[in-house]
Amino acid sequence: MEEEGRIGIPRALMFYRYFPIWHTFFEELGWRVVVSDGPKKGKIIYFEDSCLPMKLLVTHAVHLKGKVDHLFVPRLVSLHRTHIMCPKFRGAPDIVRLATEDSVSIIDETIDLQIRGNSLAQSFSKIGEKLGVPKKESKRAFSKAQQVFPMFQSRWVDRINRLPSRQLFQMDIPTPLSGKETLLRIALIGHPYNLFDIDINKDILALIKSLNLEILTSDSLSEEEIDRQVSGLSKEIYWSSGREIVGSLFHFLSGGVDGVIFLTSFKCGIDALLQEFIKRRLRVRGGTSIPFLVLSFDEHTGREGLITRLEAFRDVMEQQKKRKYLG
Amino acid sequence: MKVTFPHLGTMHIFCKAIAETAGIPYIVPPETSRRTLSLGVIHSNECICLPFKIILGNFIEALQMGADTIVMVGSGPPCRLGLYDLVQKVILDDLGMHYRWLTIPPRLTWRAILKNHEETKELRKELSARNILLFPYGLWMGWKKMMACEALERLAMKVRPKEIQKGETQKRLKKALLWVDEAKTPRTLEEAVQRGRIFLQETEQDRSRIPFRIAIIGELYTVMDSYINRGVEQRLGELGVEVTRTSWFSTHILRSLRRGKGNQNAERLRFFEASKRYLAYDVGAECNFSIGEAILRSQEGYDGVVHLMPFACMPETTASGILTKVGKDWDIPILTLILDEQEIEGRIQTLLEAFVEMLQWKKKVA
Repeated sequence: MEEEGRIGIPRALMFYRYFPIWHTFFEELGWRVVVSDGPKKGKIIYFEDSCLPMKLLVTHAVHLKGKVDHLFVPRLVSLHRTHIMCPKFRGAPDIVRLATEDSVSIIDETIDLQIRGNSLAQSFSKIGEKLGVPKKESKRAFSKAQQVFPMFQSRWVDRINRLPSRQLFQMDIPTPLSGKETLLRIALIGHPYNLFDIDINKDILALIKSLNLEILTSDSLSEEEIDRQVSGLSKEIYWSSGREIVGSLFHFLSGGVDGVIFLTSFKCGIDALLQEFIKRRLRVRGGTSIPFLVLSFDEHTGREGLITRLEAFRDVMEQQKKRKYLG
Repeated sequence: MKVTFPHLGTMHIFCKAIAETAGIPYIVPPETSRRTLSLGVIHSNECICLPFKIILGNFIEALQMGADTIVMVGSGPPCRLGLYDLVQKVILDDLGMHYRWLTIPPRLTWRAILKNHEETKELRKELSARNILLFPYGLWMGWKKMMACEALERLAMKVRPKEIQKGETQKRLKKALLWVDEAKTPRTLEEAVQRGRIFLQETEQDRSRIPFRIAIIGELYTVMDSYINRGVEQRLGELGVEVTRTSWFSTHILRSLRRGKGNQNAERLRFFEASKRYLAYDVGAECNFSIGEAILRSQEGYDGVVHLMPFACMPETTASGILTKVGKDWDIPILTLILDEQEIEGRIQTLLEAFVEMLQWKKKVA
């Protein structure tokens, strides 16, 4: 098929969840998807004084300009009927536009499923419209993307455990069938970009795998399970990501794993508030027998300190497991 | 039952008026101090916004003084304000404090009223028929006092840059607000306002001075509470600047009731429209208004803008990124002050002095 043009997708923020959908959609329409490599030599562009994930979005976008016909930075307001995304996402396309100084066309379609009558399919056909694609074509491409996504997700845990972090979202690399046996299971909790962006977490996945631990992540739980876990709170948490973090934490801390790590970005408003909530609630409820660690990342986080903490955490997990086994 | 409420800006004056008039026992938290802030800081973490810490500190101090029922105005998505109560409750639980919590719904929806009904079920048993009967009158009194405080504060903003004795206006304003606070009936309140107005205007002034005009924009609690912003309004006034702001309790209450098609609301609508060329979507809280107001103030011939935000505030972080561009495009100096628990009074004073000097220099060159 002849190439229509190039779409640039910054490897940042919700790329780390929805890339399979975006990739399939644009490729089906005959557009070539170009993903940014990331900051060269760790050089981050400081356009605004926000959290690290947001700064990385700007950095990736600036690297892509000039190499692509359009940048894809959707305005993700809400991807659920009643829950919303981080408020910073609402201004993300505008920040990117200012940072790239209008030198590249940006597809910034607003996706807001809170509004009655809006649907994801509709939003995508609007994105197609901007590329001059007939509605029918967009519809076909989107339904293809919708088929691919659950297939991709069903193999997600295997991918995390058996592929190097860089290859997780390379769609042409198949999921390996088997891996080595591990003794301990660890749950990683956080926004998808904190879990999988190696520029944020210094490739914590590789470090954990080298300690011979099996990884589970917060994004593998079903929405029903999350809803069940956060149902009885005195006030509903309205951020999708916040619900996922609190819900999966309660889920994993009630059993099934040997340790839980909560990965946060420094200056993330949602994480800061919920971290306090989680900590206090656990204390009020009499604590947990499962080891729990909070790791906060920013651009100064070093790999060595991380290794030490992870090794110590594994020792705690091992002891705890032995104690349970004996007692 | 002893109710309490946050000590933000002049909020304690009108909250007290409501309780007092309706005959409900209350405790006013001590004026926000270093201790209040420390309590808030110890019991939260570094990236939680400053208003959260101050309010938490107010509540802890009030509960220690014997209050048992916390009344707090709720808020909603998308920023963290809407979940303050969820987290503050669990923090107080963890501290082993006993309290009851009453959230006043920010928007009058059926769901909110129902939830409110549930929350107040127990409380209503403790209220006498007299309390309930007098409550609407209390609300009215509270509203009147709020408007009175705001009128006096507005007047002080005009008088301050022209005062001859530095700090005179602030002293007089404090006294005038005290008179308002002490008034018990509509008639004495009316008298207190009149007396306060005259008292403020009697400040010895140099009326020939033409002050700079600066608009204060940003996160609402930070703009409205002089402890959170370390007295930016007063400091600027005393440097000879006439300050304007559009964040008042009345603005936000009217907005949440979706009322007040008056001037205030029309003005905010204009700000929102103006922000659209930089920000194509409503980010929430004050973000869009901050950007729009900066643009319009430059067109109105203001000399500068001071942008206030708590550290790590989500909507205002987006705004501050865009404001740098706005300042360049519209040739208006913008000073962003990020506030947290550190003792930065000295630094703020220096920054403001430098800012005003820069304005003088700019005027001379032009």
